Amino acid sequence: MALELHALAQAVDDLSTNAAQRLADLDRRLPAIRALLKTIGVAGEELRANIQAALRARWAGAIPTAEAVDAAYPLPPFPARVNILAADGSQIYPDRHGVALYYLINIGSIVFGHGSGEAPRTRSKPEVFFQDADLYEEDGGQIPVQQIDMKRDQRELAELAQLAEADRSVPTVALLDNGLLLYYSLQAPSREQIAEALGPYLKSLDRLKACGAAVAGVVARPRSAGVARLLHLSTLERDEIDRHAELFQSSAAFRQVTDFQLFDFLRPGERSAIFESGSPANLDHYQKAGHSIHFFYLNAGRLGKDSLLRIEVPEWVARDIAKLNLVHAAIVEQCRITDGFPYVLMRAHELAVVTVAERREFEQMVTGALVRRGLTPSVSQKAQGKAWTATGKRWYP
Amino acid sequence: MTELTLGRLLRSSTTGYVFGCKIPEADAPCFGDFVKAPAQRGQTEVIGLVYDLAISDDGFVRPMATADLPEEVILDQRNNRNVPIEVSVLAVGYKNGAGFIHGLPPQPPLTLDTIRTCTDDEVRAFTERSDYLRLIAESAEAPAEELLAVAVQRAAAVRPPAERERYLRKAGRELAKLLSRDLPRLERVLSRIQPNR
Repeated sequence: MALELHALAQAVDDLSTNAAQRLADLDRRLPAIRALLKTIGVAGEELRANIQAALRARWAGAIPTAEAVDAAYPLPPFPARVNILAADGSQIYPDRHGVALYYLINIGSIVFGHGSGEAPRTRSKPEVFFQDADLYEEDGGQIPVQQIDMKRDQRELAELAQLAEADRSVPTVALLDNGLLLYYSLQAPSREQIAEALGPYLKSLDRLKACGAAVAGVVARPRSAGVARLLHLSTLERDEIDRHAELFQSSAAFRQVTDFQLFDFLRPGERSAIFESGSPANLDHYQKAGHSIHFFYLNAGRLGKDSLLRIEVPEWVARDIAKLNLVHAAIVEQCRITDGFPYVLMRAHELAVVTVAERREFEQMVTGALVRRGLTPSVSQKAQGKAWTATGKRWYP
Repeated sequence: MTELTLGRLLRSSTTGYVFGCKIPEADAPCFGDFVKAPAQRGQTEVIGLVYDLAISDDGFVRPMATADLPEEVILDQRNNRNVPIEVSVLAVGYKNGAGFIHGLPPQPPLTLDTIRTCTDDEVRAFTERSDYLRLIAESAEAPAEELLAVAVQRAAAVRPPAERERYLRKAGRELAKLLSRDLPRLERVLSRIQPNR
């Protein structure tokens, strides 16, 4: 065993002490912060003006809609017949120490015909990328893994659009195991790269909208703090907002507060109010394309076991009460099967995931193909060494 | 019965093998079925009797066991997920160029070999002699009494009706020789294969 566990005993003890202290500190502050939700209620003119000022400074908080921010909406009825789609992706990143340079993306998807009495339709679509244009950027460097993640995310949404277009005969909910704000769009170095990445993604949202499906991204254990930022903003004076410094320095009262902790009042089946994401990426790109990302929190658990999820939807779902209720009810119904997270998303992940054994088999396929071409593939000595030592040390007393 | 592909081999030894199977219930093998697996690069076929069918759970299914599930979930778990029925087979003979031999095969089948049902003609030919009953009676893994009774009944069932009683009486005499030192056991098996039962 390489990891000397006994050497970490004190650090693990300190870690648990630290976690307990942090929780106690949060517990002291949270009642007052939660009370702020009630003081806001339906956002008034002054708060909205302050939000607009903050957005001009690229503040990334939650923008209230017409719903009271502390509202809780009960579980709507679930139609007898609904198609629930889900897609998820996984990948093998390029490995310069491997037998060949390539990467692989595998998309798993499921069409769950709720009320159909039929077995769901499932599929896995693997793609391997090995051309220079796939692997290298214009400056000759290998593409960063974030771009591979972005391509995977694009394909997940395109898969949902394709499945939704194939059957428009019944109401359809399409679910992704992530937020709808493409992660790459939050971190790409330039607006041009963001726009290039978002083009196909926004087109898939167009297709989903056109065929009448309701799309939603599901985030378990969310770490977002958009509503917490809104509450912080509500405590600031206008001149403090205009000075920006206060706006971006979370005060001690709001430190480490996430939205997750604010909505623990939701009972099983209830959703929170809807908010619009104030993220600059959302306002610059998604909103301009008619897909501004909105979100709400949903307790998809049961009595005795809460399960708070963050649900992201585009504006055309958020503003269409029938679609919104369909998303709300479908997610709760799906979570009922698997005790807190949608069944279809668990299955889509299962269909997408590339296991260690499958990766090994694929690498053997590649090696075999290279050998048949007269090549002599080999892994680097470093990779070989890792393979030799990965099973752990042997101790000889 | 016509030949039906059942699944692929998971593990094996000369005394038997286990294969995975995900075909629908109606076509799934049953206790006492005669099946065959290729061995020795196709030179032999190992004939066996199904003696156990096991369905494993996994972490995904376990929490759903007590839930009120939609029909679609049950169909998804049964039809789509790659969770096989594990079928255990007792080797009772093999077929080579010379015909059927009652005894352990020279080599076991290999991983992922295809397992098929024996046709009625094959079962009839294999059970012309009754030496295979000894391997069942001496098996430590299989429930021998149940398997002896079911195997003999299967062998009788593939014969024309006029021959069945004669076959069962002949098999009964063989079993009497095999189990003569354990009369209670013999009685239990014979009571299961009585011609007029």
